[in-house]
Amino acid sequence: MERLKRVRITSKGKVFEGLLLPSADRDFLVLKMDSGYNAGFRKEGAKVEELGEVKVDVGSGKDGASGGKRGEIAILGMGGTVCSRVEYKTGAVFPSIGPEDLARNIPGLEKICSFHTREIFSMLSEDMTPQHWAEAAEEIRKEIEKGVQGIVVLHGTDTMHYTSAALSFMLRNLPVPVVLVGAQRSSDRPSTDGRINVLNACFAAARGPIAEVGVCMHAGTDDDFCHLHRGTRVRKMHTTRRDAFHSINSPPLARVDYRNEIVEPYLQFRGRGGKLRFDNRVSENVALVYTHPGVKPEFIDSLAGYDGVVVAGTGLGHVPANPFNAKYTRSIVPNLKALVDSGIPVAMASQCISGRVNMNVYTAGRVLQEAGVFGHLADWTPETAYVKMCWVLGHEKKMEKVREEMMRDIAGEITGRSEIA
Amino acid sequence: MKCGLEIHQRLDTGKLFCRCPSAIAEREPDFRFRRKLRASAGETGEVDFAARVEQEKEKEFHYEGFAESCCLVEADEEPPQEMNPEALRIVLGVAQQLHMEPFEQLHVMRKIVVDGSNTSGFQRTCLVAAGGYLETSRGRVRMSTVAVEEESAGIVSEEAHVKNYRLDRLGIPLIELATEPDIVDAEHCKEVAEKIGLMLRATGKVARGIGTIRQDVNVSTEDGARIEIKGAQELRMIPLYVEKEVLRQERLLGVVAEIRKRLGDSALKPKAVDLTPIFAKTQCGLIRKGIEAGGHVLGIKLEGHAGLLGRELIPGRRYGTELSDYAKSAGVKGIIHSDEDFDKYGISAQEDSAARKGLGAGEEDAYVMVVAQRGMAQRALQMVVERANVRVVPAETRKANPDGTSSYMRPLAGRSRMYPETDIPPIAVGKGMLEEAMAAAGGGLEEKERKLRGMLNPEMAGRMLKSRNLQLFEELVGAGAEPMLAASTLEQTLVEMRREGLELGRPREQLMELFAEYGNGLFVKAAIPEILRGMCRGKRAREAAEGLERIGGAELKRLVKEKGGDFGKIMREYRLRVDAKELKEAIGR
Ligand SMILES: [Zn+2]
Repeated sequence: MERLKRVRITSKGKVFEGLLLPSADRDFLVLKMDSGYNAGFRKEGAKVEELGEVKVDVGSGKDGASGGKRGEIAILGMGGTVCSRVEYKTGAVFPSIGPEDLARNIPGLEKICSFHTREIFSMLSEDMTPQHWAEAAEEIRKEIEKGVQGIVVLHGTDTMHYTSAALSFMLRNLPVPVVLVGAQRSSDRPSTDGRINVLNACFAAARGPIAEVGVCMHAGTDDDFCHLHRGTRVRKMHTTRRDAFHSINSPPLARVDYRNEIVEPYLQFRGRGGKLRFDNRVSENVALVYTHPGVKPEFIDSLAGYDGVVVAGTGLGHVPANPFNAKYTRSIVPNLKALVDSGIPVAMASQCISGRVNMNVYTAGRVLQEAGVFGHLADWTPETAYVKMCWVLGHEKKMEKVREEMMRDIAGEITGRSEIA
Repeated sequence: MKCGLEIHQRLDTGKLFCRCPSAIAEREPDFRFRRKLRASAGETGEVDFAARVEQEKEKEFHYEGFAESCCLVEADEEPPQEMNPEALRIVLGVAQQLHMEPFEQLHVMRKIVVDGSNTSGFQRTCLVAAGGYLETSRGRVRMSTVAVEEESAGIVSEEAHVKNYRLDRLGIPLIELATEPDIVDAEHCKEVAEKIGLMLRATGKVARGIGTIRQDVNVSTEDGARIEIKGAQELRMIPLYVEKEVLRQERLLGVVAEIRKRLGDSALKPKAVDLTPIFAKTQCGLIRKGIEAGGHVLGIKLEGHAGLLGRELIPGRRYGTELSDYAKSAGVKGIIHSDEDFDKYGISAQEDSAARKGLGAGEEDAYVMVVAQRGMAQRALQMVVERANVRVVPAETRKANPDGTSSYMRPLAGRSRMYPETDIPPIAVGKGMLEEAMAAAGGGLEEKERKLRGMLNPEMAGRMLKSRNLQLFEELVGAGAEPMLAASTLEQTLVEMRREGLELGRPREQLMELFAEYGNGLFVKAAIPEILRGMCRGKRAREAAEGLERIGGAELKRLVKEKGGDFGKIMREYRLRVDAKELKEAIGR
C-alpha cells in the first residue's frame, strides 16, 4: 500500500484535479488526472491545494509461504523484467514485484504444478557478480534437499546466460531440472512474453525429464512454444526481441509447449534422479577482454592483477601478432605471454560467437599457443569460457590443472563435433 | 440538446514512435506472427474488469506486416523511439490556434486495450493541451483537450478464437481534439466539425482518404454519465444519437431507482446453474443448435428484477439489451431473459418453470440464460451480473448503430486503464517549442484567410481556404506564380481535365515547371489548358507548348500591321498565342 495525495493545481489560470505522483524531475509536479492522463506542471508558478489522501495498492512484493513439500517446484526470484513493476519515482521499470505477485499474475500456473516462491535477490541482472551465482547455487541446493520436483529461477535477461553457465558448473549431476526464465517485455505489459515463458519453464521444471540447468525463453516472435537451452550453450543475441536467446554451436536442448504438455528433446540429456555434486566456490578475479584493431600492449599489461584472463579474439581466435611486421601494428602476444609466465591462465574464445576456435591455421594462433594461451578447438562462447574460468579458479590454482580442467567438457560447454545444422 | 465532438485526424508525418512512413499497403503481407495479450493492474492497482473479461476470452491475435511500413516497434519487439517531432509540432500549432494551453511537461501514457488492435496491448497517447475555444456563428465552443496518439492496427477478420489484424496502420499519429458539450444543434455540429477539419487541413500534414478523419460524440447528462459514441457515419445523424442517448440515460435512471427501491444497495451474487438437461428436447432452435454444437445452457437468477429487463429505454432497446451487450463482450451471441416472449423463441411453459425452479427464481425475480461453451457462458453471465450491480449510469464507450441508437463497446477509458509509458521520458515544452509550432502553422487559419483575401477575390479565397490544394497553392505562389492564375488552374482547369480523364502524374513538380515557363513568357494564359493536356500525357512544358508560343514584341507588331489592326480578328485567329492586354497596347500605339 502506498498513499497518494489528491490535489488541485492552479497553473496559468487553469485548474486541474487529480492524484499527485512522485516526479523524477524536481522542477515539475506530475498530476494524474481523473481521465487517467498524466501531465507535468512547473512547480514555479503553480498553486497546489491538498484535497485528501488515497490509498493505492502497488503490489506486496512479499514472498509466498515456503512450504517445501514434496511434488512441488520452487520458484526463486533473482530480479529482472520478468518480475518487474513500474517505479514511479523514476518512471522506469524496476524489479520489485515478489514471486508471489508473479504467480498470482499468471493464471494457469496452478494447473501446471504446485509451487512455493522465494525471493533470493531483487536486482538488475547487469549488477550481478560471481558471488551472486555462488549464493544462488546455495539456495538452489537447499531447495533440492527439501525434495522439490524442480526449480525455476526468475532472472533478468541481460546476464541470464552467465548465471546459467555458472549454475551448470556449480550444480553437477542434478536430480531435478533447474530452469532459468525471464522476459523481454516486462510483466506490467499486456503483451509480456513472461507469462508464456514462465508457464513453459514451470512445466519443464515440474514435469519435464531434463535434469540440467537450462534457460527457457520464446522460440520465435510468436506467442507459441519456448526453447529450453543448455545453460552453457545459451547466449542473448538481440537487445529486444522475444526470441533473443539462442543456443550457440548447438541446437536447443528441447522444445517446451505447456499447452500440449510437451517437452521434446533435441539433444541427448541428463535425466532426473542424479546425486547432486555441489561446488559453488568461485573466483571473482577473472577478466573477459575483447581484442580489436589497435588494441594496446599496455592494456594487456594492465590485466596483471587478475587471477585469470579470457580473451575474446577475432576470427579463429586471434590477436594482433604482427608476423609480417606491418607498419603501425604492435603485437600483444609478448604481453599475453608475460601474463602466462607470471602464472595467470589465459584462455581464448572467439568474438565471432558462432564457430570453433582453431589456433593452428594461422601464425597468430600458433604463436598464441606457443605463448601458452589455451582454448584451441574449444567451441565455447566467450561468456561461458569466462564463467568456467571463474569456477575452475574457485577450487584450483595450479596452472597445469587449471588448463586441463578448462579444456575438459564439464557441462556440455565443449563438444568435439561441429554439426552442419 | 448539447453535445461535444471528438475529432480524430490521421497525420501524414510518418509514424509517431518509430521512423516508419504512414503508408497503407494494398497487397499481400510480407510476414505474419501470432500473439496473446493479458490485462494487468494499472499503477493505481485497480484491475479493469472489462479488460480482464476481454483477455479471458483467450483470443489469439494474428498480425500481418509489410516490410516498408512495419518495423520491430510495430511488432512490439523493440521499445518506442522519441515522439515524432513534426507530429508534436503540428499538434502544438493547432492547440495554440484554438487558444489552448499546452502542458509544461508532456507524459506519454499507455491506454490498455487488450482486444489485439495494438500489439503491445496498449495504445500510446499523450495529452498535449487543455482549455481554449473555437469561434463559431453560434458563439464560442469551448475546447476540452487535445491529445496525440497512435492509430491502432486495422482489423481484417474475426473468427471464434482468432482476430486478424494488419500492422501498416498501427502507429500512425492521430490528433484527437475534444470540445466541451457546447454544440447546440445539427447545423452547429456541422460547422464545428468543418471548422476544425479546415484548421487541420491547413497544417498541410493530414492524411487523406477514407477513415483518415473520424468524429465521435460526447454526451453527458447531469445525473447520468459521460458517454462516448464512436463511429457515427454522418454528421447530420449526430443530433439523433444525442437525443436518443439523453433519453436512454433518463430511462436508465428510472430503472436504477426501481432496483434501489426493491433491493437497496445489496449486490446480486447469483450462482450460474447448468440448465442443459431441461432443454434436452427443446423446440427452441437457438438453444437446440447451441447444445448440438457442444454448448451448455447456463442460467442465473436476477433477484427482484422481474419486469425490469423488458422495460424499454428507447425504441428498440430495453434494459435487457444493455445487459446483453455486456454479455456479448465475453464472446456470446446474446442472452435470453425472462422478460422476453418465450413463445417466439419456442421455449415452452414447462421449460420456463423448470428453469425457474432450477435457479430458485420466484415471481419477483428475473432470470438470464446463455447458450455457449461452458467457460464462455460463465464469463458472459459474470458480465451480466457485473453490469446489473452497477446502480448508476455507467460511463461507457458505445458504438453508433445506423438507426440512431448505440450499443455498449467498453467502459470509458479511465484511470484504471492508464499507465505511464516508461520507455519514453517526459517531454518538457518550452516557449521556443511553442513559438516554432506557431510559426510552422503559418500563423494559423485566421492568418491564412487574411492572406488569401489579400491576393484572391473573395469567392476564390473562400474556396481556396477549404481546398485540399491549399498547401500546393501556397507553394506555387511562394515560387512566384500569379495567385489568381494558380488558384484557377488548381480549382478549375485541373478539375475540368479530370472530367476528360486527364491527370498530372507529379502535380507539384509539373505545375512548378508550368508556372516557371509562363513566367518566362513562353506562352499566354489562354494556352495553359492545352499545355496541361500535353503535360498530362507526359510531355515537358516546353514540348507541350510547341506551336503555342506567345506572339509578342516585334512579331506582334508585324501581326497587327498585317491584319490591319483588327483586334477581334486577331483574337479569333490567335487566341491561344496572344495576350489580349498586350494586343490592345500594340494596336493603341
Ligand atoms: Zn515502425
